[in-house]
Amino acid sequence: MTNPLQFESPSFKKRIKGMLGVDFYRLFHTPMFYIFLFIAAIIPAMISAMTMMPSPDGGASTPLYSNLWQIIAASKSLYVIKTIADYANMNMVFIFGGIMVSVFIGHDYKSGYVKQLFTTHAKKQDYMISKSLVCAFAMACMCITYLIGGIVGGLFAGYDTSVNVLSLVVAVLGKMILSLGWASLYTFLNVIFRRYFGISIASSFFFGTGILIIGVAAIVEKLPIPTAILNIFLYGASVNANLSSGISALIVCIAVSLAWAFFYNFLGTKILSKSDVY
Amino acid sequence: MNAIEIRNLSKSFRGMYAVDHLNMTVPVGAIYGFIGENGSGKSTTEKLICGHLVPDEGQITLFGKDYTDPGVRVRVGALIENAGCFPNSSVYQNLKMQTINLGLKDADEQIARVLGIVRMEEHAKLKFKNCSLGMKQRIGIAMALLGEPALLILDEPINGLDTDGMRMMREILVDITKNYGCTVLISSHILGELEKIATHYGIIRQGKMIMELSAEEMDSRAQVFVSLKTEDMQSAKAVLQKNYRDVREEEGYLRVYDVDDTAAIVSLLMEHGQPVSEIKKNKIGLEEYYVELMSKKEEL
Repeated sequence: MTNPLQFESPSFKKRIKGMLGVDFYRLFHTPMFYIFLFIAAIIPAMISAMTMMPSPDGGASTPLYSNLWQIIAASKSLYVIKTIADYANMNMVFIFGGIMVSVFIGHDYKSGYVKQLFTTHAKKQDYMISKSLVCAFAMACMCITYLIGGIVGGLFAGYDTSVNVLSLVVAVLGKMILSLGWASLYTFLNVIFRRYFGISIASSFFFGTGILIIGVAAIVEKLPIPTAILNIFLYGASVNANLSSGISALIVCIAVSLAWAFFYNFLGTKILSKSDVY
Repeated sequence: MNAIEIRNLSKSFRGMYAVDHLNMTVPVGAIYGFIGENGSGKSTTEKLICGHLVPDEGQITLFGKDYTDPGVRVRVGALIENAGCFPNSSVYQNLKMQTINLGLKDADEQIARVLGIVRMEEHAKLKFKNCSLGMKQRIGIAMALLGEPALLILDEPINGLDTDGMRMMREILVDITKNYGCTVLISSHILGELEKIATHYGIIRQGKMIMELSAEEMDSRAQVFVSLKTEDMQSAKAVLQKNYRDVREEEGYLRVYDVDDTAAIVSLLMEHGQPVSEIKKNKIGLEEYYVELMSKKEEL
C-alpha cells in the first residue's frame, strides 16, 4: 500500500501520458470515431460520383473536376470560392472534425467524467493539450480516409490522374499537419461553450467552413493587399496547401498549425484556470 | 497536519454567497460528516476542494500543500453528484480509463481490488447505463478508490441506496479508513447512517460553518433521557414534574431529560400509584441534535 501521506508531484510527461492515454482509449473504443472516418471516406466518393455540374448559364453540363486530385485539394490557392468544386476538397475534413471534437468533448461533460479528470489533474493545460492532440490525430486519420475515398471515387468516375506528386504530398501532409491547429481551435471553442453543447457544435461548424476567411478574402481581393496574407489563418493555410504548392506551403502549414495550436491551448488553459470548469 | 484545512473560503454565484468565509479542518484519518440543508453550500465546498470551481477568496490546503498541487490532487478520489462514467462503456472500461488517467501500472489488479471492495466483481462487463442506482453509486466509489487515494470526497454517496446498500457502503468506508489510511469527507442527508461511521462533524448553514466537533464531543453534548409509558400519562407527568426539571410529552411518550436512572423513576411512579408499562434509556441522536441546533439558529 502507498504511504497515504507521501505526495510525489507527477512530471508533465507523466500527467500528459495519463490524460492522452484516457483520450486515446476513449477514441478507439467509441463508435463515433469510426463513423466519422467512414463519413470522411464516403463524402469524397459521393462528390466524385456527381461527375457533372450544371452550367450557370443554362448551357451544357460540365464535369465537376478536371482531375482526380482536385477532390483532395484545389489546383491553386482559391480563397474566394465560385463553384462547389472550388470548395469541396479535403478541407471539408475540418468541418467533420469540428463536429467530432464537439461530440467528443461534449461527452466528457455530459457523462460527468470531466470531474474525474479535473479532480486528479490540477493543471488545466493537461486537458487542453491532450484533447488537441487526440482530436488532431482523429482528424489526420480522417484526412487519410478522405484521401482513400477520393481516390476510389475519382477512379470510378474516370477522372484524369496526372499530378505533380510533390505538390500532392505537400497538400495532403499540409492539411494533416493543420489538423493540430484546427483541433486546438475546436477544443478552445468547446471549452468556452462547455455548458452549451448546441453552441459548441454550431461554432465548430461555423469556423470549420472557413466562411470567415472566405468573406475576408472577398474583401482582400479588392484591395491592393496580397491574398497570401490570409495564409496566416488556418483556413488560409489549408487553401494554400494545394496541387501547385511547393515545400514552402508545407513550412507555412507547420508554422501556422503550431502557432495557432499554441495560441488556443494557452488561451484555453487560462480560461479553464480562471473559471469554473463545469 | 490536517487532511483538509480551509480558511476564509468564499464562492458566490451572481452575487449570492454559496460558501461564505468558511473555515474547516478535517484531521488525517477522519471520516468527516459534512452536514447541512439543501443549498447550504456542501457540494460547492466539495467542488472547490476538488478544483472544479474557482474560489472568490480563501485558502484550501490538502495535507499541508496548496490544493492546486498536482502531487496532492492525484491522491484525491471524488464522487460528486454522480459517478462520472460514460454510459455506453462497461463498468470495466470506465475503471480502466481511470487507471490510465492515474498512470497505474497494474490496472487489472487495481480494478479487481476496487470491484472487490464495492462487491461488484460480477458486474464488470455490464454497461454503466444498465446498472441500478445503487450499483452506480458503488462504481463511483470504486472509481474514487483507484490509485489508493489519501482523501476521498463523497457527496451523498448513500442517496438512493436500500438498507443493504447503506450497510455495505458503511462497511466500505470504515474499511478504507482503517485498512487504507484514507481520510473521508462525506456529506449526507441520512444523518442516522452518518452517525454510525463519522469520527468528526462539520455543520454548515447558508455557506457558513456553524460548528465543527468530534464524535466524542458530539456524544458528550448529546442529551440523555428516559422515555416511558403509563396508563395515565397526565397524572404521571405531574408527579415527574415535581421531581425532575425537564419532563415533556413527545411522540406518545413521557420523556424525562438529563436523567438515566430508570429504577428511581419506576419506584417514584409506583409510590404514586402509576405503574410503568414501558421504559427505556435514550440519547439524542445526531439528527435530533442537528434539528435542535438548526431551530436555535433560526430563532437567533
